[in-house]
Amino acid sequence: MMGLNIVLLFKYVPNTNTVNVDPNTGTLVREGVPSVVNPHDLDAAEFALELREKYGGKITAMIMAPPNATKGIEFLLGMGVDDGVLITDRAYGGADTLATSYVLAAGIKTLEHYDLIITGQETLDSSTAHIGAQLASWLKIPYVYYVTEASLDNGALVVNRQLESCTEKYKVKLPALITVLMHSHPPRPITLENKLRAVIKKPVMMLTNNELKLNIQCTGLRGSPTVVAKTEFVSKIPRKKEIIKDKSPQEAAAWLISKLKDEGFLN
Amino acid sequence: MSISGQCPDWIPVNVNEHKNVWVYVEIENGQIHEASIQLLGKAKEVASKVNSKLVAIMIGSNLGKLIDEPGMYGADEVIYVDDSRFETYYAIMSGEAMVQLAMKYKPEAFLVAGTMRGRELAPYVANHLRTGITADLTMIEVDEKTKEIILIRPPFGAWQLAHIRTLRRRPVMGSVRPNVFPMPPKEENRKAIITKETVDELYEPGLELIERVEIKSSEEKPIEKAEVIVSGGKGLGSKDGFEIVKRLAELLNGTYAGSRKAVDMGWIQHDRQVGQTGKTVRPNLYVAVAISGAAQHVFGIREAKRVIAINNDPNAPIFESADYGVVGDYKQVIPELIKLLDGIKNGKK
Ligand SMILES: Cc1cc2nc3c(=O)[nH]c(=O)nc-3n(C[C@H](O)[C@H](O)[C@H](O)COP(=O)(O)OP(=O)(O)OC[C@H]3O[C@@H](n4cnc5c(N)ncnc54)[C@H](O)[C@@H]3O)c2cc1C
Ligand SMILES: Nc1ncnc2c1ncn2[C@@H]1O[C@H](COP(=O)(O)O)[C@@H](O)[C@H]1O
Repeated sequence: MMGLNIVLLFKYVPNTNTVNVDPNTGTLVREGVPSVVNPHDLDAAEFALELREKYGGKITAMIMAPPNATKGIEFLLGMGVDDGVLITDRAYGGADTLATSYVLAAGIKTLEHYDLIITGQETLDSSTAHIGAQLASWLKIPYVYYVTEASLDNGALVVNRQLESCTEKYKVKLPALITVLMHSHPPRPITLENKLRAVIKKPVMMLTNNELKLNIQCTGLRGSPTVVAKTEFVSKIPRKKEIIKDKSPQEAAAWLISKLKDEGFLN
Repeated sequence: MSISGQCPDWIPVNVNEHKNVWVYVEIENGQIHEASIQLLGKAKEVASKVNSKLVAIMIGSNLGKLIDEPGMYGADEVIYVDDSRFETYYAIMSGEAMVQLAMKYKPEAFLVAGTMRGRELAPYVANHLRTGITADLTMIEVDEKTKEIILIRPPFGAWQLAHIRTLRRRPVMGSVRPNVFPMPPKEENRKAIITKETVDELYEPGLELIERVEIKSSEEKPIEKAEVIVSGGKGLGSKDGFEIVKRLAELLNGTYAGSRKAVDMGWIQHDRQVGQTGKTVRPNLYVAVAISGAAQHVFGIREAKRVIAINNDPNAPIFESADYGVVGDYKQVIPELIKLLDGIKNGKK
């Protein structure tokens, strides 16, 4: 095999705790909120770069998002990714994960060839971890979540992954999709050289529905079986809120011990 | 909004034809996963609200007596597939089997415990059925009038919950956060109607398990099983701060955990993170040390019986979520606590 042709999927997410949901449409309000590449996708990017270093090949970063996500592609180019594809169209807005993965699958099918799709474990803003499995379902390819290591063996991929109480090793036929365990691959820094290359080469390709030619009944809000019907504030759990301050550490500790005794924690 | 969910490429669904609440029962090391049992308890409630049956779905090889267990936790029916092709678990194969069963029986809802395996499997099944799926839900409601099942999950940031409806497609699917719902009581004599099913040709999964290694975590108890948790945050200042947190946890017969910032700093592993993007825990006692009490953190300790907070900032929001709070420097307070606890322990000997 002449290197690995990798598609790196990522999301450009609002970098804040104050994101809200539009009460009318039930979708995320993104306007005016600064965004970043989803941190867990940076682990995936690092993972992809390490694979490319080992086996050669090429990495294409792909996203379905409004046009400002080009900045996210530029960031990844700065890390060393080769190309970027931005899939963007008004008809794709307001999509749930089914409709998102549908469009992404169509985007991937426009690529001449791919061996491996890599995604992050989940996103910061919705953390569903759906897209990987849904894409595998659309593309009818094998998939493995929570991958920590991968190597090539006679044209197949051997991956290690980590679950709650075990690790597993699989041999996977290519093309395949993997999601990378979060926190497993801290990303390398952006280099000036890569950044310059990105500016000069402008290797960002745009795909709209003119190219993908999908039935717009199947994309965006229309193609989404789920809708956010409403949002509500969580009720707080009633707590005793007995708080002491301005006490010496000894007094404070003795007070806590007495509470622990009263509650039966020290029997 | 009303136009969504009717792509002409999808096999049409008649919502009214779909009946019963399904729970996929995950089997791990020859046992039913606790998260699936918790889910059976909750799903039973939902099923009775929509006047339908709770059906447990089991897929495996040599299931033996395991098929009797869902009944003891409230399932009215068990539909199982017992077939040597499922000797090794592959999400794709179990998923295909579940899709075949769902096409045949047309369930109204299909819930899967949000374990790591469950989160990998459920969206695959949902996608094959061209239905929606909600991740990591924490509440399930039934609309009083329409009897529609609505799935509720925490979205992004603050104290908000998103109510998610599935329009025009069925089943309503969701992965359910482990530990949010309590274990239902076990009724040894309760029996479900048991139906054996077979599945047709299955897709070759394209992957092969080479090796599985259990992680021996005998000395470090998983946080979701602990009765007492001492949890540290960024205010510990360094990884060393966790030494004293662990020592306190030990003296209280508990284990340690932390906030996301503690994980981000690399002080503890992500599997010990409490909160919205970590775990929900349900200990009897949760001690938050140098944790500010962000909404996403506190979200994970809603089910804790008692919460103690130690923080040097009197305005830290964690005090709003604490039963007992000490405003002070943990570096001073905890050593005193440890001294007293040591004394109690030695006194007992
Ligand atoms: C989508 C999303 C999901 C998230 N999910 C999670 C999650 O699952 N879990 C989670 O924890 N967070 C989560 N967060 C992050 C969360 O918003 C907070 O940033 C995080 O919980 C803060 O961690 P902390 O309390 O350790 O740190 P800080 O907020 O920095 O608080 C440190 C605290 O330590 C106190 N302190 C400092 N020195 C001392 C001392 N010597 N003695 C006593 N106290 C001291 C300070 O007063 C302060 O209150 C999420 C955020 C987002 C946007
Ligand atoms: N709009 C998108 N475009 C490209 N990739 C995405 C998009 N949304 C999610 N992903 C990928 O899918 C992973 C899981 O996302 P999620 O299902 O939203 O938690 C992310 O870490 C990304 O790698």
